[in-house]
Amino acid sequence: MQLQLGIGAILAALFLILYAIPNWVSSPSNVRNIVLSPLFWPYILGGLTGLVGLGLLLTGRQRIGGGAPVNEPIDDPRQGMLRLAAMAVLMVASFRVMPWLGLVWTSMLAFVALAFLVRTRHPAAAVVCAVVVPLILYAFFAHVASVAIPQGELVRLP
Amino acid sequence: MSLFDSVMAGLALVGNFEAFLSLVIGIVIGVIGGAIPGISATMAVALALPFTFPMAPINGILLLLGVYKGGIFGGSIPAILIKTPGTPASSATILDGHPMAERGEAGRALGMALWASCTADFVSNLALIFFAGFLASFALSFGPPEFFALILFSLTIIAGVSGESLLRGALSALLGLLLATIGLDLVYGTNRFTFGDPNLMGGLNFIAVLIGLFAIPEVINMVWHPTGHVGKVQKLGSKWVTFAEYKRCFRSIIRGSFIGVFLGSIPGIGAAPAAFLSYSEARRKSPNRANFGKGEIEGVAASEAGNNGVAGATLIPLLALGVPGDVITAIIIGAFMVHGLQPGPMMFVLNVDIIYGLFIGLILSSGILFIVGGLAIRGFRPVADIPKRILMPMVLVLCIYGVFAVNNNIFDVGVMFAMGWVGFVMGRYHIPAAPFLIAFILGPLLEDNFRQSMLMSGGSPDILLRGPITWFFWALTVISIVAITRGTLRAGRAAG
Amino acid sequence: MTMKSFAAALVVGLGLAAAPALAEYPERPINMIIPYGAGGATDISARTIAEPLGRAVGGTLVMSNITGAGGATGSVAVQNAKPDGYTMLFARVGSHSVNPAMKATLPYTLDDFRFVTVYEINPVACAVRPDSGIETMEDLVNLTESEGTSYSSSGVGSMLHLAAVFVLDEFGVKDPLEKATHIPQKGGGAAATAVLNGTATFLCTNTSALASFVANGQLKPLMVTTDEPVPGFDAPSASSLGKPDLRQLVGWTGIAGPDDLPDDVAAKWGEWIAEAAGNEKFVEQMTARGSVIEVMSPEDANDFIEQQYNTFRALVDKLGMRIEG
Repeated sequence: MQLQLGIGAILAALFLILYAIPNWVSSPSNVRNIVLSPLFWPYILGGLTGLVGLGLLLTGRQRIGGGAPVNEPIDDPRQGMLRLAAMAVLMVASFRVMPWLGLVWTSMLAFVALAFLVRTRHPAAAVVCAVVVPLILYAFFAHVASVAIPQGELVRLP
Repeated sequence: MSLFDSVMAGLALVGNFEAFLSLVIGIVIGVIGGAIPGISATMAVALALPFTFPMAPINGILLLLGVYKGGIFGGSIPAILIKTPGTPASSATILDGHPMAERGEAGRALGMALWASCTADFVSNLALIFFAGFLASFALSFGPPEFFALILFSLTIIAGVSGESLLRGALSALLGLLLATIGLDLVYGTNRFTFGDPNLMGGLNFIAVLIGLFAIPEVINMVWHPTGHVGKVQKLGSKWVTFAEYKRCFRSIIRGSFIGVFLGSIPGIGAAPAAFLSYSEARRKSPNRANFGKGEIEGVAASEAGNNGVAGATLIPLLALGVPGDVITAIIIGAFMVHGLQPGPMMFVLNVDIIYGLFIGLILSSGILFIVGGLAIRGFRPVADIPKRILMPMVLVLCIYGVFAVNNNIFDVGVMFAMGWVGFVMGRYHIPAAPFLIAFILGPLLEDNFRQSMLMSGGSPDILLRGPITWFFWALTVISIVAITRGTLRAGRAAG
Repeated sequence: MTMKSFAAALVVGLGLAAAPALAEYPERPINMIIPYGAGGATDISARTIAEPLGRAVGGTLVMSNITGAGGATGSVAVQNAKPDGYTMLFARVGSHSVNPAMKATLPYTLDDFRFVTVYEINPVACAVRPDSGIETMEDLVNLTESEGTSYSSSGVGSMLHLAAVFVLDEFGVKDPLEKATHIPQKGGGAAATAVLNGTATFLCTNTSALASFVANGQLKPLMVTTDEPVPGFDAPSASSLGKPDLRQLVGWTGIAGPDDLPDDVAAKWGEWIAEAAGNEKFVEQMTARGSVIEVMSPEDANDFIEQQYNTFRALVDKLGMRIEG
């Protein structure tokens, strides 16, 4: 695992130094002193990432087999991955839908979806909470803390 | 006017029921606000501000200070119970507080957090009262080069919170430093990794990153392994903190308080680094070093002492110089101005009654915090009994609301989600999250102060060693690095 | 109800829904976006006017801080909002005249907004430390020419940044970008601290931000950008120093909506703001902080901002300060 990390860090460092920093960090042409350039600090970080990657690689080779403890095993990793994918979809969907549906309704759907995704033992309670919790939070944030909680285009709450 | 007269004038201002009540209300609002992630102490103070406009100046300011102090403590409640720091300052509390809660000792952790907070608060208030003048003049001798040296030293904390592997801690820190570069460049105003998105131009929102990194991975972990918690009791527990434990942690608490006072009196650092520094110092000095990060009560005590130690001390630059020490005091300064008070040296001459009134109120506040905090812990007791597979969706929804509310921006919710996955993957690879966070806070400060120093000197590095303060912190940095290297080598030999 | 009349009712209903019933504007809370953080000049100004303004509107105003990128993040949120009058912006000198003049890649221009008013103006003052040995603007200019000076600001593209350059340029410093070093800080409070602790020689910022330092004798004002001296500031005015052009250099706070804001909404805002800014307590609180309350009509506000923008833009182009990246 340490090897993977080390290789990952070195690749990330190369990507940063060779592609990301030159392309995505803009620097004015009239920088007088190299240490003042907006590029200076990102390059240092890129270099350090590479060094740490190298370090991980070396120590990882020394201690093959030992080192980090293995993560808690789960019964069915394939299903686990599926659930993770579902979670990712859930997050992306919530984020996309939020401006249109409003924070309250999106949260209710997200709550139910997540509760069933983790196969709750209390489905009825989960549904009740899914409705009540976002409403309470809405009441608190909108009316006590006076935050403009996005209401969406469909149903507006008072 | 003699000291006695000043104290009497102050007493006359605050020696009434209304002043006392304002303080209590403030602390109650603060504890509740701090306990709700996303509201945080900062927002609670900002929300309470308009309500203080019609009040008498001293009562209004006392209320805000109550919110501030209550908020800093309140943040530790969700940090311990649901691994979500209610306020950035309580991130360090998670490290040992949450493992304790998982062991069913949340009550003990919360109790210690309260005791440590109140003690540190008291120390901090005393420091404000007795050393305001001295510490304020000291704070003004901190220019960019001094800051640079101080922050460089503070970054060595990373070694203390890296857990099993220093290299993985460093990797985590670098990731934090890299993500902190997103946004507009300080000196030239050019874009860095913004991809033309106006939301990225402001940089990643700190609270969104913080909550994403600590709370969301818990939710994702639950998705990955829905029954992983079954069999583990997550209860408040019957065990309460004992006086013997308090005595055992007392040294760490006092040390943390002084670290808090010191960092608080220098404008621009804030409570989160103080908590981490206090934590890593406690870990370094403690005989139970190996237990830190696995639910060591001394870790909770040190973190909470560090962050509450800041709360009184940030008033030092505010009252003595008119300079806000952090975001919260910047808002509180607004309350002074609305009432026509101008914080600064002249205030000690013109409004000495208000100054001493504030001092007396602050001394009271530590006691009130103790009572209100104790009640709050009992009030939040039910959280520990919610079934985890219902609690996690609740945490998710709460985080969505909270993160949105910080900057009224849905984009930040996306940042939180994305950081959640980063945190989850880091967890799978046993990369600790705390170094990331410290680096994310301190990285921009380090870079900015370095470049400001270079601007001051016209590019000459000599300025970084311009005076005794810089020498002091450079020396500390070198000592820390040597100690860390030796420790790592020894550990490497022991393992190999 | 027959099918026909039901259909008719439906059509009417849809028609009503399609054309927002502006006669009743506002029928729900209006989201007022403050593009700067809590405790800053814009925030304090917005929250002070919120109370009388809310009464004039007769509805709820929700104040939302959306901070980031020198006011750009919040401004973009309003630029992209629906022009229904339910999302309005507290625009400020930094976000709507300095930033557009300086930053080429800014995601908005002045044309993306419709200003309904400018209600507050703050003069700018330049200040130094009392023990710096600088007594007058002349001293400062001489020192800049001979040894070079430095000034602090709340960031690149902030009003403080441009103000210092503008002042030096007006006072005849040949190459102000070379002679005076810009030391940007994060935020206005930090900018003042930088002068207090000797990091920078001087700063030029709103009198409201300097008032308490000046009253406490921690900073010494050298000049204010007005016709008449400002109470509490023992410093000559720009006009008396023979630099009347510097009167352009003022901070202001106004209210704007997206550019296709309907006329009747804009008209309503005109009425509301006139009523709110007449509030005695509001005027008293604002003037105590050194602001001048002056309600401009939408046309005047647009002209005022346009003129300030053009002045700034000319200076930026002359000195090559524009940020292209």
